[in-house]
Amino acid sequence: MNARVRGSTDVLATVNDAGGIDDVVRRAQQGDVEAFESLYRTHAAAIYALCRRMTDDEREARDLVQDVFVRAWERLTSFRGQSSLGTWLHRLGVNVVLERIRSTKRDAARLIEGDDSTFGSHSSAPAIDASIDLDAALVHLPAGARTVFVLHDMEGYSHDEIALMTGIAAGTARAQLWRARRALMRLLER
Amino acid sequence: MTQVETHLTEEERQAFADDSMSPEQRSSAEAHLAACESCAHDVARLTTLMKRIHETPAPTAPLDELWPTIRARIEQSKVVPLAAGAGTGDGGRGAGEPVHRAIVGRRARWFASIGVLAAAAILAIVVQMRSPANRAAAISGADTNEAAFIAVVDSAHAYEAEAKVLLDKLELQRAMLRPDAAKALEHDLHVVDVAIAELKDAVARDPNNPALRQLLATSYRQKVDLLKRITNAS
Repeated sequence: MNARVRGSTDVLATVNDAGGIDDVVRRAQQGDVEAFESLYRTHAAAIYALCRRMTDDEREARDLVQDVFVRAWERLTSFRGQSSLGTWLHRLGVNVVLERIRSTKRDAARLIEGDDSTFGSHSSAPAIDASIDLDAALVHLPAGARTVFVLHDMEGYSHDEIALMTGIAAGTARAQLWRARRALMRLLER
Repeated sequence: MTQVETHLTEEERQAFADDSMSPEQRSSAEAHLAACESCAHDVARLTTLMKRIHETPAPTAPLDELWPTIRARIEQSKVVPLAAGAGTGDGGRGAGEPVHRAIVGRRARWFASIGVLAAAAILAIVVQMRSPANRAAAISGADTNEAAFIAVVDSAHAYEAEAKVLLDKLELQRAMLRPDAAKALEHDLHVVDVAIAELKDAVARDPNNPALRQLLATSYRQKVDLLKRITNAS
C-alpha cells in the first residue's frame, strides 16, 4: 500500500519497537475485551472511512464497522505482528466489505467484470449539483469502478493487491481506475 | 513522445497525474506537455482531480456508540477462551483461542479415540461370540445376565441424563458457533453416538462382558466430557 493508508496506519501501528506485538494487542488476543475496546477506539475511524467510501450508505457503513471488529475479535489470534495491526485490520475490513458487496449488490458481477457499459461517456453521467463533492460523486460510480478507485486512490492499495483482493486481473483494475477517474473528473467539473 | 503529433497515451496521462512515472518517463512527458496544449490540458484536469482526492478528508461519524453493540456481539458469539484446566491436555493453546477453533482442533484426536473404541468393541464382540465357554456361561447364567443388563441400563441412563442436560445447555450455544464449527460438532457427536449405539447392542447381547461394559462406559464418559468442555468453554 502507499500514500494515505500507509501514513495513517503507521501512526496507529501496534507493533512495538522491538518488532513484537503490542501489549494491548496481546491482551486482546488472550480474551481481554477491554484491551480490544482500546483497539477499537484507535482504529474505528479508519475502518469507518473505508466502509463509508466503499458503500453508498451510512447505515451500511456502520454495520460493516461492527462486522469488521467482530471478525477481528474472532481472528485476532491469527495476527502475528508481521504488519501493524492497522494494516491487518484494514485488509480485514476490505475483505468484509467486498463480501458484503458480493452478497448484496445487484451489480455484484461488476466487481468481477469489466463494467464498460455504464460509465465513461458524458451522456451516461447522472445530472448532479455543481457543488458535488468527491464522496458524493463516488455514489455515481458503478460498484466495480468505485471499489477499485477507493482501494487505489483513497486507501493506497496497489493494482496487484487489488487484483488479489477482488479476483479481477491487475490490468482490469487499472482500466477500471482510469475510467473511474475520468467519470469523476467530469462529474466534479460540472 | 516529445513530438506534438504523438500524444501521450492514457496510461502516460494517468501515470503523470498520479505521480507514478519513473523520473525518465516523467522528464520525457514534461517535454511533450510543454509543446502539446491538448495533452497538457487533459493532464492538468487529471492532476486537479488527484489533488482533490488527496485533499478530501476521510468521512467521519460518531463511532463510540457502536462499541456496546460490538461488545454484545462478541459476548454472544462466544468467541471465548477455553476455561483453564478444562482437561483437554492441550497446554499449548492460548487462553484466548475461540471455542470453535478449539472444537475443530480436537476433532482429529476425538475421531481417533472413537475409532479405537469402535474397533475394540467390534473385536470384543467377535471374540466373545466365538468363545464356547462364554457362550455356555451366557446360556446357563440367564439370571445373572439380566441383573447385569439392568445395571448397565441404569448406568447408561445416568450418563444419558447427564448428556441430555449438557446437550440442552449446548443447544443454546450452538446457534452462536460458526457454521463450520457447529457442523463439525454435529458430526463428532454423531460418530460417538453411533459407537455408543453399537456398544449398547453388544452389551445387550452379552451383558456380562466386562470389556464391552468398560468400553460403553468409556464412550459415555467421553461424550459427556466433550459436551462439558464445550459448554464450560462458554
